[in-house]
Amino acid sequence: MMNGKDKATVTAPTAEDIRALVQPNRVHRRAYADPAVFELEMERIFSRLWIYVAHESQLKKSGDFVRTRLAHHEVLVTRSDDGRINVLRNRCPHRGARLCMSERGTSRLFSCPYHAWVFRPDGSLSSVPHRKSYPAEFDLNDPLNQMQRFEQIAVYRGFVFATLNPNPEPLTTHLGEMTDVIDNLVDRAPDGEIEMADSSFSMEYRGNWKLHMENANDIFHPSFVHSSSVMPARRAPANASILDQDQTREMLMANGFGYEEWEGIQLNGLAAGHTYMTNFYNKGVLSNQQTDPVIARYRAALAARLGEDKANAVLGMNRFNNIIYPNLIINAQYQQMRVVTPLGVDRSLVRIFCFRLKGAPDEMFHRSIRFLTTLGSPASMILSDDVEMLERCQQGLERDDGPWVDFSRGLGGDRAEAAGAVSGLASEMPMRVQFQAWVNYLTAEAA
Amino acid sequence: MLDYQTQRRIESFLHDEAKLLDGGDFEGWLKLYEPQGIYWMPSQPGQTDPLNVASIVYEDHGILSIRVQRLLEERALVLTPMPRTTHLVSNIEAQSGEDGDYTVQAAFVCIEHQADKQRIYSGRHTYHLALADDSFRIRLKRVDLVNCDGTHVPMAIPL
Ligand code: FES
Ligand SMILES: [Fe+2]
Repeated sequence: MMNGKDKATVTAPTAEDIRALVQPNRVHRRAYADPAVFELEMERIFSRLWIYVAHESQLKKSGDFVRTRLAHHEVLVTRSDDGRINVLRNRCPHRGARLCMSERGTSRLFSCPYHAWVFRPDGSLSSVPHRKSYPAEFDLNDPLNQMQRFEQIAVYRGFVFATLNPNPEPLTTHLGEMTDVIDNLVDRAPDGEIEMADSSFSMEYRGNWKLHMENANDIFHPSFVHSSSVMPARRAPANASILDQDQTREMLMANGFGYEEWEGIQLNGLAAGHTYMTNFYNKGVLSNQQTDPVIARYRAALAARLGEDKANAVLGMNRFNNIIYPNLIINAQYQQMRVVTPLGVDRSLVRIFCFRLKGAPDEMFHRSIRFLTTLGSPASMILSDDVEMLERCQQGLERDDGPWVDFSRGLGGDRAEAAGAVSGLASEMPMRVQFQAWVNYLTAEAA
Repeated sequence: MLDYQTQRRIESFLHDEAKLLDGGDFEGWLKLYEPQGIYWMPSQPGQTDPLNVASIVYEDHGILSIRVQRLLEERALVLTPMPRTTHLVSNIEAQSGEDGDYTVQAAFVCIEHQADKQRIYSGRHTYHLALADDSFRIRLKRVDLVNCDGTHVPMAIPL
């Protein structure tokens, strides 16, 4: 859904206003609840930075399309006959009607049902009925008569990003070190290619988009928020389920950890606002340390392509959630991905996907699908409790009493390193890093 | 067509199940399942494959019992306050299947009320029931939500 608010009706906060919202140890509630701040985010973050829009495996042949969002716009990401990827506004240039009502599919032409203007997958106008009733100077090739094109598109190893920014920095500059995790996800495929699963989940919550991005690298909350699934999973007998080799039960238990594990998890933050965690949840059936027959076959297939050493290095990369600023989360180890789309200052859409590693045993994909269900389904015994907390935070931040949100945990313990910051104990560093970048983006003047 | 009495017993089995869920007796509800029984809520209309296609729920007794314990004992955050539900089952059609099984189709509506929120779920149930003593046990319950592939909010109470 589009945000219907007219941008002109809110006064944009100044750079000074924005800087005043973020202090070393805390952030003001307006960052989450002020519609004017939200509009500025849409302009300076979601319109200026590279935003993930599709995966190439969804766009294999000409006419393939995916419908998604880019800043305030609903867009179609298409593959046209010339083999190019296009990002088009999903709006008929004639009278503005929304054009395509499907989430994804294949279509040789996009035809507007109102007065039957017909567009090609590159957005160009192919025909209008009763051509002679239009004025002589009406030109099918006039860009104003075509679907609006967003020209800035870049692909990194199959991940398609777009931006409304006419002069963006190169995508790889924005991604920085985070290209490692995309590389790692793709390199895990014995055939060197990954494919997005057809099924995914969409969840909407009543809360600001940043709450989810913070939660994804908040290693302090799981023991508390998820205890209602950790406890019963611990009490349940091992292998009581015949469906999934105990994968679900182990995933639920993985959220039950304490001081020792907190200290073992390392958090990393980069200046662009990206953050990631290492050394979390190593025991799952998909993990590198498993020795079951499926993993053995998979390892052999990977080693056959990459050689033992490289295969070991690829499988040894032990990162959990990798958050690419502003709204993409990749978990290469488990072939999972999330995209958080802001719908309004207090409304967000979370879409959760997983990938197939081409050339890996089918069971690997089944496990990845299982991971998706256990963690990302609307009936998930994990995510549902996270979402509940995000909504409660938003409720608490709606009003102006107690305006500051504290994020000081671990403040003294973080180390600065060449690439960015590395955490000390169970640190809230990822949140500080995200807000530092947030201030930088929101206060940057011209694009 | 089943004889009237069997049809009637199957209908009351489904009504009893709904009553257990509405009453918050989730342990009693789980007892309706066979030890290998499966609860399946697909994410796609007409989904046939639970392995290569993600499901909203695809759980057997072992995982369902964790789910039930979570509902009962630990007071999951998403369950505070505990939702109250009205599960309605209707349009029940039963047929005898293989091995003395019964296949049952039904339409359902569930209204869930929690604090200031009210949600409506609807769709179709498909059951494979096995005869057990003087009642039935669930081999498979499939829940096809009309909006299974849509955008959701967290779900907590089984449908
Ligand atoms: S609005 Fe699309 S053809 Fe008229
Ligand atoms: Fe969580």
